[in-house]
Amino acid sequence: MTQTVKKPVSVKKTVLRLLLYFVVLDVCIITLYPYFAMLCTALKSREEIFSAAGTVLPITALWSNFIDIWSRAPMAKYMLNSILIAGGSTIIAMLCGIPAAYALARMKFKGQTAFLGFVIVSQMFAPVVLLIGIYQVMQVLHLTDSILGLVFINAAFNQAFTIWLLRGTFMGISADMEQAATIDGCNRIQSMMKVLLPVAAPGIVTTLIFIFINAWNEYTVALCLISTDTLKPLTVGINIFNGYNIIEWQYLFAASIFAIIPVVILFMCIEKNLVSGLASGGVKG
Amino acid sequence: MSTKTPAAPADRQVQTASPRLPNPGSRKFFRTIEPYIWIAPSIILMAIFIVTPIFKVFQLSMNKVTRAGKLKGFNNFENFTTVIKDPSFALVLKNTILWTVAVVVLSTLLGFILALFLNNEFKGRKVARAIVVFPWATTLVIQASAWKFIVNTDYGTLNTLLMRMGIISAPMNWTSTPAAWFGWEIACGIFVTIPFVCFCVLSGLQSIDASYYEAATVDGAGYFQKLFKITLPLVKSSLTVSTVLNIIYVFNSFPIIWTMTKGDPANRTDTLVTYLYKLAFYNGKQGEASAVSVIGFIILLMCASVYMIYTLRKGDEDL
Repeated sequence: MTQTVKKPVSVKKTVLRLLLYFVVLDVCIITLYPYFAMLCTALKSREEIFSAAGTVLPITALWSNFIDIWSRAPMAKYMLNSILIAGGSTIIAMLCGIPAAYALARMKFKGQTAFLGFVIVSQMFAPVVLLIGIYQVMQVLHLTDSILGLVFINAAFNQAFTIWLLRGTFMGISADMEQAATIDGCNRIQSMMKVLLPVAAPGIVTTLIFIFINAWNEYTVALCLISTDTLKPLTVGINIFNGYNIIEWQYLFAASIFAIIPVVILFMCIEKNLVSGLASGGVKG
Repeated sequence: MSTKTPAAPADRQVQTASPRLPNPGSRKFFRTIEPYIWIAPSIILMAIFIVTPIFKVFQLSMNKVTRAGKLKGFNNFENFTTVIKDPSFALVLKNTILWTVAVVVLSTLLGFILALFLNNEFKGRKVARAIVVFPWATTLVIQASAWKFIVNTDYGTLNTLLMRMGIISAPMNWTSTPAAWFGWEIACGIFVTIPFVCFCVLSGLQSIDASYYEAATVDGAGYFQKLFKITLPLVKSSLTVSTVLNIIYVFNSFPIIWTMTKGDPANRTDTLVTYLYKLAFYNGKQGEASAVSVIGFIILLMCASVYMIYTLRKGDEDL
């Protein structure tokens, strides 16, 4: 704080200012602490982690842990699976969600309110309580133990969020331009693709990234449906280091850091847009 | 949702003006079914992967089910009575309520206070906001693993840190009882839920007109008067949204408890979702597990609707 002030500042104000910095700083430290602990542990040797005289910082940073995990577990496979699942879910959720949101924002039809109501109510059913049902459906479709199965599940459970957020975005954009385009001879699909979607791009990107993150972070369904090791996503796969008898903390956390970094970066990009969308839309992914 | 949007008639004129389909009859028919074509992919996706499982779960809960998942006919709600009679179910239900109430109430309170702090102008505000978002973006299973490691008695970093700082002299056993484990799980749950509440409230706070506060200051209102008379009523809708959603998500939260204790020992840290997961996939009791699912839906539906009716009614009074 630079208090090079000419006019006298009241003591109360300074105290409040200090309190503000104190609280915010504490919150930041506590928030970052688990990540700090993870990073430090990922850089230690197994002996150092379990040594009686514990250390906070690693004695010597063992960066080789970050390399070892790639040979000790099919990390590259896990990574690829996570990318496929998250990417696939995002594509399908958007392909289904954009037209639905468009219809809700631009057309009037019977059952519109009912559809919207269903979209909201569907939020109440988390995949975990439906797992038994999901498992049976997947058996019928021969999609257990398959990445495609997870893609569909993630896409379906993210529909509510996708539709709600995109509908809000589309409704916030005037339909005048699209109507002008229609008069110029565009059909609905053309006017949507050429006029609406470019204008709605920020909202679409926010939605897209958020679905990607949700699918990337999904754990429960993948845990239940996937049994082949090489088909697991990162969230499930890294638990290979988290055995019943031996937990290889250094590898677990090194792998975790690979799983966290892309998501945190993506999240920070959309944080601002996402929050206003969530608050107005009333959906959490 | 208002079904009478003023844009609709204009839309229709444009449609009539467009010379796409020559036959007026088929054009009219197409216009009637067109919206349904647009929503069809979404409906199909949700019908297969959400509605069918819901239907399946209800069906399984009503039937005698073999270990392989085959239905053997209606069994007079026997699954429900078996589940409810099991003494561990009462424990699990109690845990679930404690878990949901503790996490939702405390994270809402702390998230709200944090939002009040972050709403001030100060140096490094952007950085602070970016840091606060971290736990929201991190997958729960990794967050929970980190906590499990931190609180470990033998090699956990919490003990190391406190000993280095001279606060304690010997390692503390932070997880001596199942209740202690459950407490840490709740703490972890609060930790990961705060960012969502905080950002919902922040978006509400940022839409409040500063002139309200100026007027109140002129009238001599103190900080807490302003907080309760201006801030709270105006962010109420944001808080309602975040609370209702948190009730649903925390109630259904699986990874934290699964990673830290798997509900052990002897169901002492189980909630409904971990309990039903074990019933279904460890013990092969799919009928009973489905009954637990259905009980969960009913509780959730009651909580969510009571809360919504309450807040809606209160909202009307304020108007």
